[in-house]
Amino acid sequence: MAIDSSLAEMHWKHDLLGSIEVGIVVLDKNYNVQVWNQFMENHSSIVPGMIQDKNIFEFFPEIDEKWFCRKAEPAFTLKSPVFIIWEQRPHLFRFDCNRPITAQSESMFQNITIFPLASLTGQVEQICLVIYDVTDEALGRLRIESLNKQLEKMSRLDGLTELYNRQYWGEQLSLEYKRDKRTEVASALIMMDIDHFKKINDTYGHLAGDSVIKSFANVIRKATRETDLICRYGGEEFAIILPDTPIENVEFVAERIRRFAEKKYVIHDNTEVNYTVSIGVAGFKASYQSHTQWLDAADKALYKAKESGRNRVMLAE
Amino acid sequence: MATPVLICDDSSFARKQMQRAIPDGWEVDITFAEHGLQALEIIREGKVEVMFLDLNMPVMDGYETMQAIKDEDLPVMVIVVSGDVQPEARARMLNLGALEFIRKPTENAKLVEVLSQFGLYAGKASAANRAEKVATVATDSIKDKLDAYREMANVAMGQAGESLAKLLGEFIDLPIPNVNLITNTELHMAIADIQTNESVSAVSQGFISAGINGEALVIFNDSNFANMVTLLNYTDGDSDASYELEALMDVSNILIGACLRALSAQLHSVFSHNHPIILGRHCDLDEVLQTTSHREEDMLAIEIAYSIKSQDIHFDLLLLFPKKSIGLMFDKLVTNN
Repeated sequence: MAIDSSLAEMHWKHDLLGSIEVGIVVLDKNYNVQVWNQFMENHSSIVPGMIQDKNIFEFFPEIDEKWFCRKAEPAFTLKSPVFIIWEQRPHLFRFDCNRPITAQSESMFQNITIFPLASLTGQVEQICLVIYDVTDEALGRLRIESLNKQLEKMSRLDGLTELYNRQYWGEQLSLEYKRDKRTEVASALIMMDIDHFKKINDTYGHLAGDSVIKSFANVIRKATRETDLICRYGGEEFAIILPDTPIENVEFVAERIRRFAEKKYVIHDNTEVNYTVSIGVAGFKASYQSHTQWLDAADKALYKAKESGRNRVMLAE
Repeated sequence: MATPVLICDDSSFARKQMQRAIPDGWEVDITFAEHGLQALEIIREGKVEVMFLDLNMPVMDGYETMQAIKDEDLPVMVIVVSGDVQPEARARMLNLGALEFIRKPTENAKLVEVLSQFGLYAGKASAANRAEKVATVATDSIKDKLDAYREMANVAMGQAGESLAKLLGEFIDLPIPNVNLITNTELHMAIADIQTNESVSAVSQGFISAGINGEALVIFNDSNFANMVTLLNYTDGDSDASYELEALMDVSNILIGACLRALSAQLHSVFSHNHPIILGRHCDLDEVLQTTSHREEDMLAIEIAYSIKSQDIHFDLLLLFPKKSIGLMFDKLVTNN
């Protein structure tokens, strides 16, 4: 009778171990498998009889042995439970996803708990691995992160030209100003404005105006380096930060932009629409009290270029 | 004749705990000191034969006190009773002339073993009468309660420090735990050791036993990562970012694991802990804490500012207990002593 009841208890405990939807593996000190539950069998197609008393790393060459032993070490020596999250390594065992058709990932993301199993002597001779399937949670988190990145990028850009918008560029200018103050490197600012833009809009319509703006944005892109920060500052106003650039080179760049723009045209209703630009340039000066003063200097130079006949480059005083 | 005994500890809870462990059969005349400076004054008057000395105390800590005793060649036998149980702490104190080193919370059996070893007392171990006479906490005041929590944290902190010292092979400097009753919205005030504008990374792990639950946060200053990664001696990752995450997880596993084990022993409860989550990486403290619920309810916040001075590494362990856990925790601390 006593044997019957203990047998019955063993039976339902075995069932329990087999039915729960987490992987359970018991390893000895040499990382040989002692327990391998149904979840592990189903996902790995390795039956307990095959892997019993065998080294886990022989069956799963994808496990980074050195890394895993280092993680498991505190469970043996300090009797400390160890938690590994999917952010560290997406999985320990390369298993397929639970939903082979609709899941967005090929393989299962896993959180792993390793906890010590004390023997009768109080020594830790075995450790237990619990493998949790956290695929949906992980994918959800990753999706949010990528959306956030996309949002962050979008919030920096101007919709029409995909250049930086005024706000982000302004923040960068303030940083550049502080950097220049500290290191005394020579950076420069360029402010640009499309000449008689209102007339283009009035004559050819707003769609033509938009085309001109996009065309000029491309002109600036071509004339500058990857490290320069370009922005659409206002309606037809543009600005560039050129880090670590001597003023002669900046003048050269500005002049190139002016010439490119002059040659450029957009086709609207089978008509060539030409445009020119006025440009103001201001190199960094240690005497500027703030980044707005620097910006102001470039703006004044731009105004001078307009005043003295447009389609030209002027340097700040 | 009664042996004049001095118990020096900043926590009144710990002083009483020590007193309660002294065997009934040992005839003693007990005085108390709250820090080393007070203790030295009493010793210089020549009224002390045996001193039980704590290590982490304000004003003058155990190391400085022991140094002064050695320098002045004061005639007193010192037995260290400490939450900091790192081998180096023990070695330093024994080198300075302490007789023995007992880990907190003081167990009566261990104490009697040490006393008989040094020929101070050889009678029965039982301290039942004394334990009955000395209530662990005299009043129900909030100050006494906080003191009990601080002592609980002190022991947990010491054991977590010991585990971490083993992992890293470095001496961990232990502070005096900062214990406060605060509301959720004041949480950032509980973290005194980290400036709000510093870039930090944090891990959180929940734990629960019958009636008591809480959360443990490990907060790392990002500027410390490089040194920590060097200490851990990784060679098996693939990038700095992965090393940082490994360091964060390895250290918080050890700290939280050991800390909860020590809490379990003191509260006579077994905690189950769930998987840790990353609260934030490379963000400021406000961002880390912004996800906390905004219920205006008291909670117990214990801040432990660990550091490894030789490596210029600092990190915070924050233990938070919601209001409903606090009362039961106190009962268990007091009644099971």
